[in-house]
Amino acid sequence: MATSKLKTDRPTYASDFIASDVERAVFLGNPVLDNMMTSLIALGAEVWSNRRRMKVVEALLAEKGVTAEMVETYMPTAEQDAEWQKDRDRFIDLTYSPLLREGDLPVSAAFTREKK
Amino acid sequence: MIDRRTLFGATAAVVSFVGALFGSKSASAASAPMKMFKGDVEPRGTDQRLERLPKLDLESYDNFLTGLRIWSGSASSKTARRRFNDAIEAGGLDPREDLPLEKIFPLVENDTYIGTTARLRTSGQQLMWSALQKHFHENADAYLDEMEATDNIGPGKLELSPDMEIPDYTKHEIHIQPGGYVGDAFAGHSYHYGTNNFYRAENYQDEIHRNLASQMPTPKDGKVLRILDMGCGSGQLPAALKERFPDAEVWGVDVGGPMVRYAHMRCVDLGIGANFRQALAEDTKFDDGYFDIVTSYIMHHEVPAQKSKEIIDEAFRVLRPGGVYFPLDFETGAGRGRGKNAYSRFSSWRDHRWNEEVWRPEYSSVDFNGEMRKTGFDVVDEGPPGWRSRYNVLGTKPA
Repeated sequence: MATSKLKTDRPTYASDFIASDVERAVFLGNPVLDNMMTSLIALGAEVWSNRRRMKVVEALLAEKGVTAEMVETYMPTAEQDAEWQKDRDRFIDLTYSPLLREGDLPVSAAFTREKK
Repeated sequence: MIDRRTLFGATAAVVSFVGALFGSKSASAASAPMKMFKGDVEPRGTDQRLERLPKLDLESYDNFLTGLRIWSGSASSKTARRRFNDAIEAGGLDPREDLPLEKIFPLVENDTYIGTTARLRTSGQQLMWSALQKHFHENADAYLDEMEATDNIGPGKLELSPDMEIPDYTKHEIHIQPGGYVGDAFAGHSYHYGTNNFYRAENYQDEIHRNLASQMPTPKDGKVLRILDMGCGSGQLPAALKERFPDAEVWGVDVGGPMVRYAHMRCVDLGIGANFRQALAEDTKFDDGYFDIVTSYIMHHEVPAQKSKEIIDEAFRVLRPGGVYFPLDFETGAGRGRGKNAYSRFSSWRDHRWNEEVWRPEYSSVDFNGEMRKTGFDVVDEGPPGWRSRYNVLGTKPA
């Protein structure tokens, strides 16, 4: 998120500036935790952007006769249901499998495998 | 509320559609952009005075971060404050007291819940600035075209000073805004939309600036021919002042060239004849006694104490006898300095250190009203209301 400088030959009336060092801030004791929090916020913004877009789509669909109620009460076919569950399970696996990782070696751990 | 389309729709020139530049292939009839001038970049139209952000996803991103700011300022802050006070008490100190920072830090710095609140605020702000700057930079030519299209047209004037020496004290990335007020071509764009986040979505129609303009005190003789707003930023207050005083010559000055460029462009777009000049508040280049009213809004806490004094001197110089000076800022007027406790001390420091409020501690240290008296103003400590404060200091240049 560091400041970028616009590259252009056109007049911008901008001057040089004195950059902040906010990129170096650690509020949670470990910069990785800080970074994870930032990513989590960014992810939230992306999810909300998608949900808000969906609301726009639903509103437009309603104007065309597809109401929110029709969306809410839509009953998938058996084939759709099976396909969606498969997709859901893939989503869950990709998203939450990392939580199960049982790491136990520090960065300084010796290389113990046989070198071939 | 003024509906810009109602106000200006009859005379608006509809020129080429630039939506394609931004990948928007169409818009509904209700939101179809009506270009106010050739080159106007407005792919998603306007919501009354506010040009909608040019992409739905960018608007939603900003919308989320605004919601996050509101939430972090309430729920998250409450948790942080409770833990802060508990930690201070556990350290044998009284959190109601204005404690020195060196006593506060060791007791609270490792509390990750307090850190979480700080991280929510800082990261939310960083992400917002980053998303805005990324959009404006990626579409730079269209936005530069847009500003160039209005640089030399009215109704108001724009005076840029490309050779002006920009003092270092103005070059900081205040509010961690990328490039700060002076260092980015789209500082005005980013500032305007970024402060919508700061105002928690309550200033989309310039409500705060229009309210300030409506409360602006006038000289006792009622004569208001010329008004100056020092440090005008994206120009919302000069615009609102021009609307309240349509016959007055209204000027906004700001050190940031991109700031006044944006301010001018926006006023052209709104059909408001406020004037803008790139200049320092302490050296406005106006003649002695030129103005009837000089004001500023949350500017003094962004400058060093010495500059604050020079700005007060400049306000005195450019006011005519009987003219009024109404500098609005945090803690002006009779309430200044009251209510300090350990948490507010800590929060102020964090704002200074990590929100790049470089000069705020200096501002807090200045006897602002006293400086106004020293300069020669007749001072009313409990002057008219304004943003956040029931009372604000008001100065009158003796007749």
